[in-house]
Amino acid sequence: MSADVEFENLVKLYYRDLYRFGLSLTGSEADAADLTQQTFYIWANKGYQLHKPASVKGWLFTTLHREFLKGCRRRNRFPSESIDEHTQDLPSVPADCAHQTDSQTLLRILGEIAEDFRAPLVLYYMEDLSYKEIADVLALPLGTVQSRIARAKIQLLRRLSESNLPLEEAK
Amino acid sequence: MNTREAKQILLLYRGAIDDADPQFRAALDYAKSDPELSQWLREQSECYDAIRTKLRAIEPPVGLSEKIVRRRPIPFAHDWSRIVQLAAAIFISASVTGLLLKWSERRHHVAGPQEIVVTGEVLDMTCYIASNLSGPDHAKCARICIRSGEPAGIKARDGKVYLLTGEPGHSINAELAEYAAQVVTIKGKQSVRDGFAQLQVEEIRKL
Repeated sequence: MSADVEFENLVKLYYRDLYRFGLSLTGSEADAADLTQQTFYIWANKGYQLHKPASVKGWLFTTLHREFLKGCRRRNRFPSESIDEHTQDLPSVPADCAHQTDSQTLLRILGEIAEDFRAPLVLYYMEDLSYKEIADVLALPLGTVQSRIARAKIQLLRRLSESNLPLEEAK
Repeated sequence: MNTREAKQILLLYRGAIDDADPQFRAALDYAKSDPELSQWLREQSECYDAIRTKLRAIEPPVGLSEKIVRRRPIPFAHDWSRIVQLAAAIFISASVTGLLLKWSERRHHVAGPQEIVVTGEVLDMTCYIASNLSGPDHAKCARICIRSGEPAGIKARDGKVYLLTGEPGHSINAELAEYAAQVVTIKGKQSVRDGFAQLQVEEIRKL
C-alpha cells in the first residue's frame, strides 16, 4: 500500500474522533478542525517513528492533546482528589436528561468543566480508549485519570440536572 | 464491600469495554445481589450511553478529511534501516574515493621543479618517438619539425629523454631548432608527471 493511500485511510479512520475530542476541548469548530489538521500534519512528519500500528490511535490523541495544551495557558488547575471524597455527592440523573440534551448544549456544559478534567472525561465518553490508554494519552498516572474522570463526571451530571435550558431532541 | 464502595467503583464502569478490567469485577458481582445498586447502575449506564451518543453524533465540517489529505506535507520515508544503509554506503564510498585519490596522487606524483643540467642530443620528439629517428642523418628533418612547432626534447647520456619547453606561453622552438640533432648542455627546471620528464629551458650551451 502506498504511503498516500495509507495516510488517507488513517485520516478516514480517525479524523472524526479526533475532531470530536478537539471540539470538546476547545468548544470551537474552527479550533477543533485546526487541531485535527495539525495532528495529522505532525503524523505525516513524525509518524514514521511509531513502529506499532496498534498504538497509532493513542499517538494521535496524545498529539492532539499536546497541541491543545501548547495553544492555551493552563489555568485553574484542580488538585488531584480521590474518588472517595466525591462519590457520595453523585447526583442522580435520569437518563432522559441526557437524552433530551442536544450535542451543542452538551458541548457547552463540557466547556464549563475545568480543562484538566475535561480531556479525560471526553476520552472516557468516547469509549475508544482503555483507562490505561487514556492515562498514556494525557501523560498522567492511572489513578489520577480515574479520579479526574469521576470528579468531572459528577460535575457534568450536576450541570445537566441543573440546566434550565430548553432541551431539544437530538437528530 | 458495601453499596457505597461499589458505587465508587462502578461510577467509572462503561459497559462492555470495561468488562475485561478486573477492577470492576467484584463490584459488578455485588450489584447483582443489590437491587437498588442494580437500578442505579442501569440509570448510570443509560445516561452514559446517551451522552456518548450525543458526542458521537457530532460530525466534522464537510471536506475536513479532504483538506487534511490535501495539505499533507511531502512525506520523507524515515526508514532507519535504509538510512543506515545509505550512510554506510556514503561512508564506504567516501573512504574508497579517499584511498583512490591518495593512490592516484602517488601514482601521478608530480615532482616539484628542480634545477638540473642535462647534456645530450636535441631531438625532434615526433620523429623520435614515432620512428626512432635521431642523430646527424635526421638533423635536417629535426630542424624543420622543431621550427614548425613540433615538440623538442633532449636525450641525456644516460638515455633519459626530457621534453624541452620554454617559460609558460613562450615557445623556444626557434632557438632549439638551431641545435637540432646536436649535443648540447641545457640548464633548466625539471618536472615529472606520470613518469614523463619535462625540462623548462633556462640556458643552452653548445658543446
